[in-house]
Amino acid sequence: MSSETYSKVIDLLKDKFHGSTEVTPQTAITDLGLDSLTLMEFVFAIEDAFNIRIPEEKLDPRQGTTTLEQVCNIIDEIKAQPKS
Amino acid sequence: MNQARVQISGFGFISPIGRLLSEFDQSINAQQSAIEIKDIHITGHQPFSVPLATCDFDEKSYVSPSKLPCDRATAMALYSLEQALNEAQLDLQSIEKDRIGVFWGSGMAGASSFDQTSNLIYSLHSRIRPTSVVTGMPNAPAAELALRTHAQGSCITYACACASSSIAIGEGIRAIRGGWLDVAIVGGSESMLTPGMLMAWNALRVMAPIRAGKIESVLPFSKDRSGFAMGEGAAAFILERENNTKKKKFFLSGYATNSDGQHMTNPQSATQIKVMQSCLRDAGLSTKDIGYINAHGTATLAGDAAEAKSISSVFQNAPVLVSSTKYLHGHLLGASGAVELIACINALDKRTLPSNSNLLLEDPEIQINLVNSDNREASDLNHIMSNSFAFGGTNASLIVSR
Repeated sequence: MSSETYSKVIDLLKDKFHGSTEVTPQTAITDLGLDSLTLMEFVFAIEDAFNIRIPEEKLDPRQGTTTLEQVCNIIDEIKAQPKS
Repeated sequence: MNQARVQISGFGFISPIGRLLSEFDQSINAQQSAIEIKDIHITGHQPFSVPLATCDFDEKSYVSPSKLPCDRATAMALYSLEQALNEAQLDLQSIEKDRIGVFWGSGMAGASSFDQTSNLIYSLHSRIRPTSVVTGMPNAPAAELALRTHAQGSCITYACACASSSIAIGEGIRAIRGGWLDVAIVGGSESMLTPGMLMAWNALRVMAPIRAGKIESVLPFSKDRSGFAMGEGAAAFILERENNTKKKKFFLSGYATNSDGQHMTNPQSATQIKVMQSCLRDAGLSTKDIGYINAHGTATLAGDAAEAKSISSVFQNAPVLVSSTKYLHGHLLGASGAVELIACINALDKRTLPSNSNLLLEDPEIQINLVNSDNREASDLNHIMSNSFAFGGTNASLIVSR
């Protein structure tokens, strides 16, 4: 997980979604202070912010055990892929 | 049938002519209209121009109680509720949640969001937000208001075209009178000034046409009237049973609704007459008690003629002064009854009636007493009737008193 990716995700969480301010990379996405609907919007906004598309099999907002670190790793992984 | 009086404990609004009573009043006094020409460009279609009255309002800066993106009209609803709560100085925490209810009116709430979503899908071939449905559903404004106030008594949306918010206000009156609720949050919101919606309204030929770069007459009851300008906005009211919390008191003392059951758009005088008579009975008032009527008055040829005929029939023995303020703020459609109630409260407060336009041309077919700049003072004004007559045939009249 790059620190740049993590801080960008945290900024989005705090500034745009007014989520929890006490999170760590190990925080599960269900513990971000977002409900089921805003969590979907959060993932959508992450895609916009990083100009990527995250396939649902990689990150399904309904899978509550996913941590922020895992989210960032998925972002980094997709970003590293050559654009088709 | 004089019933328990329903007190307006607070109100708030946003309209094309301002969001403060002083701004609203200034526009009425100066006859300063917010209506402008807007050119609409849609790829693949001939450009067209429409008369619009818009609000200076940025819905994107608004954080909704659900934290989800807001439809513009929903954000306007939330804004007006906040003002109303401020004015009412109500401690919502001290009231049982199931004694608080929301009654909200909108003709096509969510329409602009759906229009934008459709544009993303069909035209821009872009993805859409995962909560597009929740933002665009017709009861989204009412639901956000209920989230904000934690209302658990009711949350009902009325979609009766241009009578929507008057109906919502009226049903709130009934809930308070009936003792079902202690607090009713009522009103309406509307904003559907997106290109696709404007194209649809333009096709219906009810807006004043633009000819040679000028808007044809949008003046209600004027001989040259040619239709309305679409507006946007919202107004919210906090209703309670009469109590001693307010120094300056306004009441909702009458409400009636009925239906034409005849035609989708042609107004029917017979049912308009009945709804005004029922409203008077509901308030326990007679025609001579009403000092002013804020007409539906949309400046369409058929609509104004029918309403004038209906008013002159009901008030034949007690001629009443009539005006419509739509030439200033446009037609706010589902929110019109709520925002026009603000014009009524302002008139009751200052005991000065909102005038029709000075540019109005007399129409021999309009046989009612119109408010002009010479007969605005109304020192003994205590009761005002407000009419809303909708497409689909739903009629509503309210009486607001001081």
